[in-house]
Amino acid sequence: MTTVDIRSTVATPVALTALFNNTGIAASRWPTTGAFNIWANTFPSEDLPAAGSTVDVGGVPFLFPGAPTGAPDNVRCRGQEVPVPVGSYDWVYALAAAERRSEDLVLVRYADGSGRRQWLRVSDFWPETPARFGERTAFHCGRMLYPRHSQPGMAPAIWRCRVPIAVPGRVRGLVLPDNPAIHVFALTAVRP
Amino acid sequence: MRVVLPGIGHWRHDLTHCLHTTMGVLLGFYGLDPLHALGAGWGFAYPAGDVRREEYYFPTVDRSLLGSLAPHHPLSSSWHEPAGAEQGWHDVREAVSGGVPVAVAVDNFHLPFRPAYSDVHTNHLLAVYGFDDDRHEAYVADPVPPRFQGPIPLAALAAARDSANPIRHDRDLFFTANPLANRWLTIHLDGPQPALDLDFVRAAMLRNVAGLADGTAAGAVLRGLAGQRAFLESALADLDAGEHRVDEVFVVAGAILAVTGLHADFLGAAARRLDRPALAELGREVDRVAHHWTALRIGVANARSRPGAEVPALQARAAALIADQERVVARMADTARRL
Repeated sequence: MTTVDIRSTVATPVALTALFNNTGIAASRWPTTGAFNIWANTFPSEDLPAAGSTVDVGGVPFLFPGAPTGAPDNVRCRGQEVPVPVGSYDWVYALAAAERRSEDLVLVRYADGSGRRQWLRVSDFWPETPARFGERTAFHCGRMLYPRHSQPGMAPAIWRCRVPIAVPGRVRGLVLPDNPAIHVFALTAVRP
Repeated sequence: MRVVLPGIGHWRHDLTHCLHTTMGVLLGFYGLDPLHALGAGWGFAYPAGDVRREEYYFPTVDRSLLGSLAPHHPLSSSWHEPAGAEQGWHDVREAVSGGVPVAVAVDNFHLPFRPAYSDVHTNHLLAVYGFDDDRHEAYVADPVPPRFQGPIPLAALAAARDSANPIRHDRDLFFTANPLANRWLTIHLDGPQPALDLDFVRAAMLRNVAGLADGTAAGAVLRGLAGQRAFLESALADLDAGEHRVDEVFVVAGAILAVTGLHADFLGAAARRLDRPALAELGREVDRVAHHWTALRIGVANARSRPGAEVPALQARAAALIADQERVVARMADTARRL
């Protein structure tokens, strides 16, 4: 049998900054500047890629949120529409984390006006909780921030998830679910 | 005197909290499979307005707390309410001396290994399985992250058990203002664990379906799917009218989320054990219902500052949850009969 390497892909990071509505990352010296969840826990910025950098996670490049300290750095899913550079993609990858695991439907919008719903499944950010949906671990921090202290040994996670573009076509956008448990830090559309 | 009971281990399911993890530790001590015991049941029964501000709240009707968590097992539990801290420790120490690990209610604010230590007051549950009189230590097991098992100063445990659990700041949420009062709990095994075989799974599924289908939407106890729908609809209507039911919905949703997530994995485990792929498919459908509860629970938590504005989204989520649950319950009856 002959095998053919088809791993060559083109990746298009998607701009999310305008949709950021939650602050989930904070500097340890100033942990009161965010509130990923209602208890105001945050991911320590020192344990994550530099703000605004391009980071490779398992071969997929993401534009890591470039927010200054205290500014929103992720999209808490509330049904926002995310414009995507028009193109034919196979997958949309996400850096995401959930407050308890959850799954929900993303509406993939096509340039011809049609739409298809696809599942987005995101595991819990909470420490000592493995991926539920087989996602790759994008980042495991060494501690979690609380408004009044930093907790070593509590290692919150951000996952690399993916949404299939199961029906071929020219994609122009995604409508995120209205599911406030799911947070998206970055998106990258990938095509062969 | 020093006693450390052997056979205490770690058990946790990611959609549960300290109630199920502590029960899992205690059941594991007696050699029971916690997922089998705690995951076989799936239902809804809520005495209207019954909620208490504690992480381990679970609505109980007709049965003890553990009996409600494990309705298909010969298990029960008893709460003990000592007169004070001194008697509270004396009684726990006596139980452990006699070879019985117990659950105790604690305020995380006083426990050095909890992230909430000296920060957030929270009414929590963990297991006590030993003590060392000379070192003034108690041995506790708490699988909730960061998992901990080992000795802590007896003074810390005493403070945690005797705490007034006050609200001091804006992160003392949901599980506060409920004094701990040194409460502790023992579990009782009234028979061996049933085998996880086809007969057990079929019977449990059919009883679950019957309980969910035979609902009550009014009266002192809301039961089944009809009761669950009535609870959600009335709570969300009250939120829309400005009544503060955020905490109630959050706490109750957490309990039902745990039950639903456990039942999904129970079905998955049964599918593997019994080589019945249909059970795995059903488990995935139940898991989807659990994930609705995740969304609803976090949605209502974030509604604290502006509950009315969040009501339409919460109503849409509740409707989707109920519709998906009705579908899976209908399928469950059919699947059970075909096993």
